[in-house]
Amino acid sequence: MTEQILEMKGIHKYFPGVHALNDCHFELGAGEVHALIGENGAGKSTLMKILSGVYTKDEGLILLDGEEINIGSTLEAQHLGISIIHQEINLMQDLTVAENIYIGREFLKGFVLNQNEQDRRTNELLDSLHLSDIRANTKVSTLTVAKQQMVEIAKALSFQNTRILIMDEPTAALTESEIEDLFSFIRMLKAKRVGIVYISHRMEELKVICDRVTVMRDGQYVGTRDMADVSISEIIQMMVGRVIYTEPKTSSAVQLDAPVVLEVKNLNSRDVKNVSFQLHKGEILGLAGLMGAGRTETARLICGADPMDSGEIYIKRKKAAIRTPYDAVQEGIGYLSEDRKLFGLCLGLSVGDNIALPNLETHRRGFVIDDAKIRRTADKYIRKIGIKTPGFYTPARSLSGGNQQKVVLAKWLERDCDILIFDEPTRGIDVGAKSEIYKLMQELVKNGKSIIMISSEMPELLRMSDRIVVMCEGRATGELSIEEATQENIMELATKTMEGEMK
Amino acid sequence: MKRKLAMAALALVSVLGAIPVMAAEDPLYISVISKGEQHAFWQAVRTGCEAAAEDYGVDMFYYGPPSESDIALQVEALNTEIQKAPDAIALAALSTESVMAQIQECLDGGIPIIGFDSGVPNAPEGAIYATASTDNQNAAALAAEKMMEEESFVELVKNAAADAPVVIGVLSQDATGESNVNRTTGFVNKMVELVSEYQEVSVTGHELWLAEKEGAPVVINVEIPATPEVTDITNAANALLNTKGISAIFCSNEGTVSGLLAATSSGADLEDGAAYGDLVVAGFDAGAPQKNAVRNGWFIGSVTQDPYRIGYLSIELAVKAANGEEVEDVDTGAQWYTAENIDDPDIAMLVYD
Amino acid sequence: MKTKKLNMQKILAPAALVILYVFFSITGRNFFGMDGLRQILQSCYYIGYMAFGVTFVIITGGIDLSLGSLMLCSALVGCCAYSAWGWPLWLALILILVIGGLFGLFNGFMVAKLKLPPFIATLGTQMITLGFGSIISKVRTMYFPSVGSVDEWFRSVFYIHGQFPTGVLWLLGAFAVGWFLLNKTRFGRYVFAIGSNEEAARLSGVKVDRYKIAVYVVCGLFVAMAGIFYGAAYTTVLPGKGNGEEVNGIAAVVIGGTSMAGGSGSIFGTLIGVLIMATLKKGLASVGLQAHWQTFFTGFVVIGAVLLDIVRNNAALKSAKKQVQ
Repeated sequence: MTEQILEMKGIHKYFPGVHALNDCHFELGAGEVHALIGENGAGKSTLMKILSGVYTKDEGLILLDGEEINIGSTLEAQHLGISIIHQEINLMQDLTVAENIYIGREFLKGFVLNQNEQDRRTNELLDSLHLSDIRANTKVSTLTVAKQQMVEIAKALSFQNTRILIMDEPTAALTESEIEDLFSFIRMLKAKRVGIVYISHRMEELKVICDRVTVMRDGQYVGTRDMADVSISEIIQMMVGRVIYTEPKTSSAVQLDAPVVLEVKNLNSRDVKNVSFQLHKGEILGLAGLMGAGRTETARLICGADPMDSGEIYIKRKKAAIRTPYDAVQEGIGYLSEDRKLFGLCLGLSVGDNIALPNLETHRRGFVIDDAKIRRTADKYIRKIGIKTPGFYTPARSLSGGNQQKVVLAKWLERDCDILIFDEPTRGIDVGAKSEIYKLMQELVKNGKSIIMISSEMPELLRMSDRIVVMCEGRATGELSIEEATQENIMELATKTMEGEMK
Repeated sequence: MKRKLAMAALALVSVLGAIPVMAAEDPLYISVISKGEQHAFWQAVRTGCEAAAEDYGVDMFYYGPPSESDIALQVEALNTEIQKAPDAIALAALSTESVMAQIQECLDGGIPIIGFDSGVPNAPEGAIYATASTDNQNAAALAAEKMMEEESFVELVKNAAADAPVVIGVLSQDATGESNVNRTTGFVNKMVELVSEYQEVSVTGHELWLAEKEGAPVVINVEIPATPEVTDITNAANALLNTKGISAIFCSNEGTVSGLLAATSSGADLEDGAAYGDLVVAGFDAGAPQKNAVRNGWFIGSVTQDPYRIGYLSIELAVKAANGEEVEDVDTGAQWYTAENIDDPDIAMLVYD
Repeated sequence: MKTKKLNMQKILAPAALVILYVFFSITGRNFFGMDGLRQILQSCYYIGYMAFGVTFVIITGGIDLSLGSLMLCSALVGCCAYSAWGWPLWLALILILVIGGLFGLFNGFMVAKLKLPPFIATLGTQMITLGFGSIISKVRTMYFPSVGSVDEWFRSVFYIHGQFPTGVLWLLGAFAVGWFLLNKTRFGRYVFAIGSNEEAARLSGVKVDRYKIAVYVVCGLFVAMAGIFYGAAYTTVLPGKGNGEEVNGIAAVVIGGTSMAGGSGSIFGTLIGVLIMATLKKGLASVGLQAHWQTFFTGFVVIGAVLLDIVRNNAALKSAKKQVQ
């Protein structure tokens, strides 16, 4: 084994109400590529944010070359030789490569920028990284995404002593051949004895490039294995764990012959490829998959928020032409977005006005808005689904996440939508409010509504769904009845990339 | 918050205390509503007004809109001044139509109005007690006479033929303001009269002065810019300069002179031997660029009113009218100034910078 | 506590108006009294209509820079129809409204359908309307009927009848219509929703494009009304003018507390904003300061109003955060 450069021991981190990291460990050797994996919310990002100085740890030790260090800020992390490459490219597209790399540390001659020196240094750096096809004076916007990523890495390495590089989903935006380029670049960095933390959901990739893997789950350290000694299914098992902290549904009350209220056939768009499924009356259909699998995009197609390239939608066996959200609302489809603040609520408007927004047709007398009726309607839902608010007049902005979610729900209930799409309905909501939302959903299907539920939390899916459709890279990779669904087989379908299929 | 309100109240009270007790016998209050302030001309009018106000011991308020197209602002100012119940108003209306109601109000309320400069044409009977102004027709005719005293130009006119007509351009700022219309009319009429001794004349351009004659060897072309903005005047000047056979140009006020100078590299193109060296140019009014053009011989000369006298006499008339004396129109006169006499003391006093 | 604070801010602008009025009543020459009041109201006619119209646009998060030039363009063309083409006056007035509405439609189409930034789209319209008016009128100055002309009723109906300022009634009427539209109709509710969160409104099934277009049409119609009242008050309409006037309309809206970020605002606030500007204008003149002083001070008032808006927003955000925690 190579010499160890970094060790994190017994790391704890608390956020208000959440024990985000519980006794976490991580180690990294020089010239090692170490995969860090786990489900969304497992704590990978939090751990890496501590390492890169975004957060500070509440307990635990960080040892660099065997010496204890304290990382107070991202700047300190950089001085210690720790750099992070974020998933999104953080370059200024209209500036040159050199300008990007040395932003904030420009070479000066008196008051004047020393362009030549800056370009010379940049080219030296690029040459040393075998990136001779990128030049200092190239405008970043003319480079491919992969090359831009390499510029980001070069920027990280331009800090004198960078030896630890954290890469968060570096291949998310890359094509196959670009990934190959990135991998050979990473191998070159290995040879330079840079230690790399590699965060990714793509199992096949990990097999190719990583030396060791550390798995996290629910803010806890699960284990570290040598990549050579472990199979993908073993890793998945480590990720989802054996601990089952919510009772999954074991059987569905919905009969397979229940009437189909919604059917989508071969939906296609930029991010959705040939997705088809059916939704029965009174059913909760789970849409599973990892981030970026195309679940939200599919939902947005169904509710007319984005235009589809091709595909058909049938509502109660009748073909529906859904081109705008207006059409979808007319067809009785209500969408509860994953980002309530961005897509769900008019934060400045009152609770009552938000609930009334899709329902003004029924809340008016001639041309005049019936404010008294809006008030009655709002009060009805405040009582019925327990929205905690000082009153119907309170701006939606000042409500908590769970109550905001209920306001969005109320607006679709008042609209009497038969089909409700819940996109990550419990994200950012505390435990108590979560179970309230679950209860509401169960009541809804009991009353004959049908629900599509998108969630990244597998226990939630297993607990709520009658059937689960799993997506990966925009495709529906499988459909599981609740009886056969387990965290393991969902995860397997969710990581079934095209590449994996071909093997 | 309460404290803030209290402080505001306090401030108000202190302001109250600072108001001086009104003198028992107020001096006369005279409002002067002029057409502008941006031209040097109006500055000279204002100086005249101020001098008269001082001499007669009256309170005077002088208003000039930022530009001569700010009719709404002038109406507003007039409204405000009438509201102050002045003893007399001196008015140079941008558009009589716009202030008709206000004039009527003054007439009903017995506030005497003195017109000055272009005055208030077509005002209701009895509203305008008197006007202090230049007789613009006579003044502009002076320019036509002086042009026809240039021997080379007269030769040109004599030799003009229908297939290569001599064109005399007139640049007038607008076709609505009384003074500009009168100046253009005065110049055009005099020019037609003088040229007719030798040749037939056709008047083209703006419809107001149209008198076209097929095949006339001398053409007077009246050009009106799209708006009174200097850029549009410059465009109009360029159009004139590019007319085939252009031999003379008369500019009817300071604004159009500025436009012409802008179109001729600040006048340098009018220098003998330059692109428009042979052009016979006469101006109207004064101002530094025009004086410079005259002094350099780029213009054969310019007509000037007496803005100082206009201002001074309008206040004098207003004071008399306010005191119930009989007043009647005053001609404030015009002079021809050239490179030779521009620095003579009695002319220098008339041509402001 | 929270509601109390909001009320305090609501009365701040009206309070400022009262303070200004009292101040100038004391210091100004012949400012106080019915005539002075009438003058204040009369001087805010056309700015009032522009401001009412653009209030809708600003609440949706947009902006209309073509206010001023469209006002004079529609007035100029209407007046041209009346005096040059011999149309009856009532028909010419309808033409003014049609032109205002059509250019509003044009603005709305560019913003909602072509997705142009409102700033750019309406800047283009500003120039188009400047040119359009000049083209139609052949760069002639136009005159609305004034005292003593055949259609003297125009002035009586829209401006002043004897000593009675009929225009005030119209202004109050327009205020009532604007208030009703914004607060009591579906259209108004959607205006707030779009300004607050356009995407959320769209996903709720609101035909956002259609309502955005409608907002600019409403603005155009109000602006055309401004044109009519401009004609009634000032009679003379020059070609190629009016750009710059939009600043007055927008300033009044901002002073009235409508947020440029969209989502909040009121017609009442705008009315107060217009009155503050008019009082400032007439008041400064009554103490002998000229128009440029008025612009000078109005600038400070606008900045003050926007600062207040920011402070208010920050306070709201803070209290919202506190509640969530």
